[in-house]
Amino acid sequence: MLTLGYFIFKDLVYDRWRSLLTVSGIAVTVLAYLLLSSFAQAFQVFSQHPQMSSNLVVLAVDVIDPMESSLDEGVLQTVQKIAPDQIAQVFPVIFRHLNIQDQIMEIRAVPLEQMPTSLALTLDEGSWPDDQPEIVVGEDLARIAAWKTGSKVKIYGTDFLVVGLVSSGENNSGAIWMTYSEGQRLFSMRRGFQVGYLCLKPSANPESVRALLQADPRISSQYTVYLESALSSGYYQVYHNLLTLSHIMGLVALLAITFGTYNTTNLSLTERGHEIGLLRVLGFSQGKLCGFLLARTLVLTLAAFGVGWIIAVVFINYHRTHIAMGLSAAPIVLNLPPSAGLLGLALAIIFSSLGVWLTSGRLGGLSPLAGGDG
Amino acid sequence: MHNPPSEYLIQARGVEKHYRRGKVLVEALRGVDLDVPRGAFVVIVGPSGGGKTTLLHLLGGIDRPSAGKICVDGQALETASEADLTRFRRDHIGFVFQFYNLLPSLNALDNVILPLLAKGWARKKARQSGMAFLERVGLQARWQHMPGELSGGEQQRVAIARAMVGEPAVILADEPTGDLDSKSANSIISLMSELNQRLGVTFIVATHNLNLLKPSTCSYELEDGLLSPCSSSTSSA
Repeated sequence: MLTLGYFIFKDLVYDRWRSLLTVSGIAVTVLAYLLLSSFAQAFQVFSQHPQMSSNLVVLAVDVIDPMESSLDEGVLQTVQKIAPDQIAQVFPVIFRHLNIQDQIMEIRAVPLEQMPTSLALTLDEGSWPDDQPEIVVGEDLARIAAWKTGSKVKIYGTDFLVVGLVSSGENNSGAIWMTYSEGQRLFSMRRGFQVGYLCLKPSANPESVRALLQADPRISSQYTVYLESALSSGYYQVYHNLLTLSHIMGLVALLAITFGTYNTTNLSLTERGHEIGLLRVLGFSQGKLCGFLLARTLVLTLAAFGVGWIIAVVFINYHRTHIAMGLSAAPIVLNLPPSAGLLGLALAIIFSSLGVWLTSGRLGGLSPLAGGDG
Repeated sequence: MHNPPSEYLIQARGVEKHYRRGKVLVEALRGVDLDVPRGAFVVIVGPSGGGKTTLLHLLGGIDRPSAGKICVDGQALETASEADLTRFRRDHIGFVFQFYNLLPSLNALDNVILPLLAKGWARKKARQSGMAFLERVGLQARWQHMPGELSGGEQQRVAIARAMVGEPAVILADEPTGDLDSKSANSIISLMSELNQRLGVTFIVATHNLNLLKPSTCSYELEDGLLSPCSSSTSSA
């Protein structure tokens, strides 16, 4: 083994520029894989469907995006009349996406008493907002925007005070929350409110209630009733697809190693076929020479993986500390999971070995055939 | 693959080698018969393209004959598998080429020990043996030098040490002085002659250099694929 290592070292040093180029090429593909894995890992949180909600939401007819919806108070009274025994609470939600400090942020205005109850928000710090320019902020958003209790935020031309930080089991900890009455004042109730939120009693069957409401002509003509979880499932599917795509792109990036090692090995066999032919003549079997090429490529692959890993770690750390990236005001935090690293290493070794193996058939045909003229 | 021991180290009977070059069938060897006793110093002369290199390749198990039989040190080569031929070359043959064929990435000593490593020797033991053979060819002081740092004659000495280190039954030398100046060529001829006489190593040398006929125990002329004993005029040339 030491002898093999010695000769590999000598060969790599002798052929150092090509070795360096090979390491660089593999390192780039490894880096691409690791960054895509990290990206996919960051999106994993968005693709995880929250637990099935037992609540319903009402939007304007056929509207999917709450921003496009506009409702009036009458709909809340109507749904309560249709299913009074199954609906526990009904309340309006003002929903906006606004550009705040150059980031698109989600604002929700709801009755104060619904924040800790129906919406299951937990106050982690500070106090709940009052009916004045006060807001509480989801923990993820606070981290992205570097806000804390006491920070002042200009929203829609009005200065708001951050009075508390909240967390939630759902993926809505990237939102800004204010009281419904404050939302009414801020937006002057243009376009009414966007979402009617229906909390069902524990005994109620959400799908049955949804069907009942949707079948009523007073609802079906102007509104659409969704299971809260169904409304968001489309988004989760998109994120899930994005995640899958990232994994596939990562694998494709690693697969490029096969072509890279195939090319470099093939080129070596062409340029240095004389030397390899000589080794064949001296009694090295095809298997031994193939083993040498495989071990040599393994060394290059391990070195390249190390380089790719180091660059990826540096980039991700820089990204974490210097670049705030978010989606719907939820932060995208890049991480390099060890499992992705191990999988990448195993695949890099397999793919690089495959590249060598594909060229190994040429070993048998190489000969020094030098010096003779007859 | 093993045949009963024979008085001859090498026996070739009716050896032919044909190959195609485009649409033309080239008959490189046309029924060559050759008997080489152990410890002989055989020289084969002849014009370029006469088949000398082809014959050495066949005797060394690098190539296979189109027809005929070759037996070297009890090994029948014409029916051997590729793996058998690899083992045969490793264990029985030493090669010396015109252009030395040293690996440029390795120093002189590492080049010499390659046949031993092919046999599976440990590097330390192989280096000890390699140093002894470098000493025999007068290059022990230059064992660390890379091929590019050695003269042509020195490189050929390293190549001879490499051919001998595995203690093969026969050394096949293809134009060993072809790329050397006359002084270096004479030095190499003396070295091979000395190794043949002192150690009893069998040499088969294909060459244009008629000076090599001096140490030979028998000599042949190979022309148009036909092998014949050297005429006295050629021998004396």
